[in-house]
Amino acid sequence: MNYAEKTHPEILVRGLKRAFGKVEAVRGIDLELQAGELFAFLGPNGAGKTTTINMLTGLLRPDAGQICYQGESFVSTAYEVRRRIGVVPQHNNLDRELTAAENLRIHGRLFGLSRGKLQQRIDICLELAGLCDKRDTPAGKLSGGMKRKLVIVRALLHEPSILFLDEPTAGLDPHSRRKIWAFLRRINQEQKCTLFLTTHYIEEAEQLAERVSFIDQGQIIAGGSPAELMKKTGSYVLDIYRDEDVDNEFFNDRSTAMTRLEQIDGTVRIRKTTLEDVFLQLTGTRIEP
Amino acid sequence: MLHGARGIYLREILILRRKLIKTLLASAVSPALFLLAFGFGIGRGALVGGQDYLSFLLPGLLTMASMNQSYAIATEINISRFYFKVFEEYLLAPFGRWQIVLGEMVYGMTRGLIPVAIIALYSLLCGVHLHFGPAFFLALLLHLAIFSLLGILAAMIVRSHADQATVNAFLITPMMFLSGTFFPVDQMPLAIKAVASFFPLTYSTRLIRATLLQSGDSSVLLYLLLAAMVMSLFWLTRRVIERVEV
Ligand SMILES: Nc1ncnc2c1ncn2[C@@H]1O[C@H](COP(=O)(O)OP(=O)(O)OP(=O)(O)O)[C@@H](O)[C@H]1O
Ligand SMILES: [Mg+2]
Repeated sequence: MNYAEKTHPEILVRGLKRAFGKVEAVRGIDLELQAGELFAFLGPNGAGKTTTINMLTGLLRPDAGQICYQGESFVSTAYEVRRRIGVVPQHNNLDRELTAAENLRIHGRLFGLSRGKLQQRIDICLELAGLCDKRDTPAGKLSGGMKRKLVIVRALLHEPSILFLDEPTAGLDPHSRRKIWAFLRRINQEQKCTLFLTTHYIEEAEQLAERVSFIDQGQIIAGGSPAELMKKTGSYVLDIYRDEDVDNEFFNDRSTAMTRLEQIDGTVRIRKTTLEDVFLQLTGTRIEP
Repeated sequence: MLHGARGIYLREILILRRKLIKTLLASAVSPALFLLAFGFGIGRGALVGGQDYLSFLLPGLLTMASMNQSYAIATEINISRFYFKVFEEYLLAPFGRWQIVLGEMVYGMTRGLIPVAIIALYSLLCGVHLHFGPAFFLALLLHLAIFSLLGILAAMIVRSHADQATVNAFLITPMMFLSGTFFPVDQMPLAIKAVASFFPLTYSTRLIRATLLQSGDSSVLLYLLLAAMVMSLFWLTRRVIERVEV
């Protein structure tokens, strides 16, 4: 085997499309993730994030396009590929009557783990989520943050090499959200797991991701590392307040920005560019959390 | 081997265990009411086909109540699919989807055994002697498989929880009343006889009653007919589930 063959990306997507009747939810998406990456798919409500994840995990059939995992084409009967995938859906789909440990046990059985292995993985995963003392608590009685963590470790139970997370922190308070972020960073670094997450929180993408793609109306409109994207737009920005509105002007360095600032009458503020500015520049719309 | 089907069965049984008392009570009440209303109300002292009406009625109730329990998995799958979305876990796991059909079918059959125990108790209380032999159990298993599969099929075809109620109202309820549970089908008007001949319950009721009372038609042909229904329903359900998306 030559070395070129060994360096397949973790996932490669070309020309992915899916419509629901007249609604074109995903309109030709290309993606490439290297093993170990932490990637965020950022877009407003209805952009097509969930539809994309569902196609990548085999829950929806694409109308067109190709999906390859480590160079292997993904079809619904590719069970070995499925074993490498973990999925955290947008909705906490736990069995509420069953305990935390039972929820994990069922998942392990569905993935064909042997009894001994399963017991060991359940212990490790409960420990990882900090839920050891909730082992025998019905999942329905856990707090929102704990449920989310349980769903995340459930997806990790069978040791996937890539983990898809659809809005991992939607609906959580700022405190729990930060805990989940730290948790995801640990999973990415310690377990060497590739993470593909979707979010409509710009801050989440900025805090977590090494690489971001913006999706809007079913198409990717820009991508790169947050730093790169901000640099491309201009590292400094002026907020110029006009009547009811705010105008933005972008500058590559602080001194040019300051010079411009002094020329303007009225209220002006200088600050560093954020990922949100990048998105606003690209779409002319604001993402509402 | 079969880790998918076994995993699904385990999940369903763990959940059933949590609500066993409720399920037991629920499947005890409706046959008891039918027994009181029809058996002791209208049918007291009546003779049907040379038998007293209670002996005729109890096997019918057993068949009907176990059908209801097996078919009831439709509602459960529906809720898990559209509301709690736990069903996604099955769709994501690494096995062929026919294993989902198998796991749920065996679960539905397990549920269908609950009313059998209850009606057996009622028949003791009524002093009616029923023969729970191998011929009966074979017929029962085929019967339970048919209605479990119909339940899964319904849950896969409908698009929402409301649709499920419609299917039940147009299919299951008529079947309960026209398939020979309460009255022999041969004594019905011709039009109803024709309709009844399309209901699987008509055949399973006939066979189960014959085995329990050890009289009437329990020919091999009826077993083959039920087995053929099981196989074609399994095939059909599998085809439908292969096409299912979230
Ligand atoms: N099963 C479906 N049937 C019909 N339309 C659908 C279906 N699923 C998604 N859509 C439509 O496709 C588009 C993309 O939806 P999708 O759920 O992928 O967006 P999203 O980016 O995940 O949004 P959100 O942030 O709200 O979760 C939307 O217009 C949505 O209404
Ligand atoms: Mg979504």
